[in-house]
Amino acid sequence: MRVIECNGLTKVYGRAKALNNLSFTIEENKITGLIGRNGAGKSTLLKIIAGFLRETSGEIKVFSEKPFNNLMVSANVIYIDDQMNFPTALTLKEILNVCPTFYEKWNHELAGRLFDYFSFQSAHYYNDLSKGMKSTFNMIVGLCARCALTMFDEPTTGMDAAVRKDFYRALLKDYISYPRTILLSSHHLNEVEDLLEDILLLKGGREYLHMPIGELKEWAIGIQGLTGKINEWAENKEVIYTKNIGLDRTYAVVRNTLSDTEAQQAKTSGLSLTPVSSSDVCVYLTSKTKGGIDDVFSED
Amino acid sequence: MSLVKTSMLDIVINLYKYKLKAYKQVFMSLIFIQLLAVLFSFNGVGMMGSSTESIEIDVQFYSADLVITFTILWAFITAILITTSAYKNDDFAFVTNRLSSNLSNMVFLLTASIVGGITAMLSTSLMKIIMYLFGGHGHIAANLSLSEVVLGYSSTILYILLFSGLGYFIGTLVQVSRIFVAVIPGIFIGAGILGAGSRGFEWVKSIYQFIFTEPSILLFVLKVLVIVGLLFTGSIALSNRMEVR
Repeated sequence: MRVIECNGLTKVYGRAKALNNLSFTIEENKITGLIGRNGAGKSTLLKIIAGFLRETSGEIKVFSEKPFNNLMVSANVIYIDDQMNFPTALTLKEILNVCPTFYEKWNHELAGRLFDYFSFQSAHYYNDLSKGMKSTFNMIVGLCARCALTMFDEPTTGMDAAVRKDFYRALLKDYISYPRTILLSSHHLNEVEDLLEDILLLKGGREYLHMPIGELKEWAIGIQGLTGKINEWAENKEVIYTKNIGLDRTYAVVRNTLSDTEAQQAKTSGLSLTPVSSSDVCVYLTSKTKGGIDDVFSED
Repeated sequence: MSLVKTSMLDIVINLYKYKLKAYKQVFMSLIFIQLLAVLFSFNGVGMMGSSTESIEIDVQFYSADLVITFTILWAFITAILITTSAYKNDDFAFVTNRLSSNLSNMVFLLTASIVGGITAMLSTSLMKIIMYLFGGHGHIAANLSLSEVVLGYSSTILYILLFSGLGYFIGTLVQVSRIFVAVIPGIFIGAGILGAGSRGFEWVKSIYQFIFTEPSILLFVLKVLVIVGLLFTGSIALSNRMEVR
């Protein structure tokens, strides 16, 4: 079953296009990573899916229904971000006690255990929590709601390294015991890539890549050697990133369409090939210039 | 994967129950404001005195009208408060759409109006007790018949409901556009000044008379309910396309 179907989705804020003719579909029970630079439209997309924002044009369907103002979608979707609002008058425990009345599949026992594990105090108030503690609390709500579509928008904001690790592990464990569709947006692809099945890369409000994470790992290849040789070799290839190393050497990242003989040729002419991590691929693909920040500082 | 089915009614009831808990500050402020009003009421609303050669009579009048006025003000402000995004976004942390959020707010305001109305009327008894304990000499309290009591309670509740409906509508307008933050007080103050007797603005006075000087209780109930219904429907219509969070 298709959980999300999105066709030509566009969202305009004033004059800026946050989403620009975006089309993709997400299948049931997959963990998809939503990756993109700041301002790529990740949060906007998730909020449209949650039914908070209205699309400007195009079509979006969640569980085959339009999400905006839709009670069914709201009951089956949870959207967790770092700007969650919880009632200020309720203690943390009271908030957790309210949740099962709204979320039919809420796992109260798990919520209680996570609550204790992360040493929350029942009588504390949400607004008195630190940033990382808020994120942790939000994560508990997001996990335990067990909504058919669970969306985490930068869930680890403010969490320390240990809690981040715990979070990813908890997410995976609960996903295995109760499979559901999960959308996870994050800046730290290297942290989440072991978790993800698919990746959806956004650039400038458009879908740039949508593929299994395994493919992304082999999508590009890094090559290093003398600048002249590299330039010659990469002439008719899709170069996504270059960097000068020292005076006469260059590191380039090209799309991995090499045949075995080409790879052999490269090696014999003194170039070394290295794999490129998927998070680096994403950074290179979404940067506006091929040289990255170095271009800003190079004067010629 | 099975999808959860929901009904609008269930969600509204859930939201309402949740709001009774989450908005408890609203009732705290009611207690506070009514006690304050009771305190102010001991200033009395009027006095009368006469004396002959050997007798001097001083009569002080006390009334709980101020409590009702304060309660109306409280309902108005509460209604505006719960339209603000901080409160609205709380709903959207859970399951809701705009209609269910609005409907549960309205049921909550109705509840608040009833609680506010009853406590405001009961404050008369509180005043009598305090008078009895600490007051001067001799108290005469009006003895009300049952029909007068029912009339008093119901019209108080309706006035409070009316102003909460007005507050809710105004709050929604402000959520739609910030311009109304300036426009609405302008309209009220302007209407107050113009309505005080300018020619061509008799409609201001007639609006006032239409609501506040209705002699028939049935007609009054009908008028208030229709106006509140219109205000709430208007609020729903205005906010139904609004984006949240």
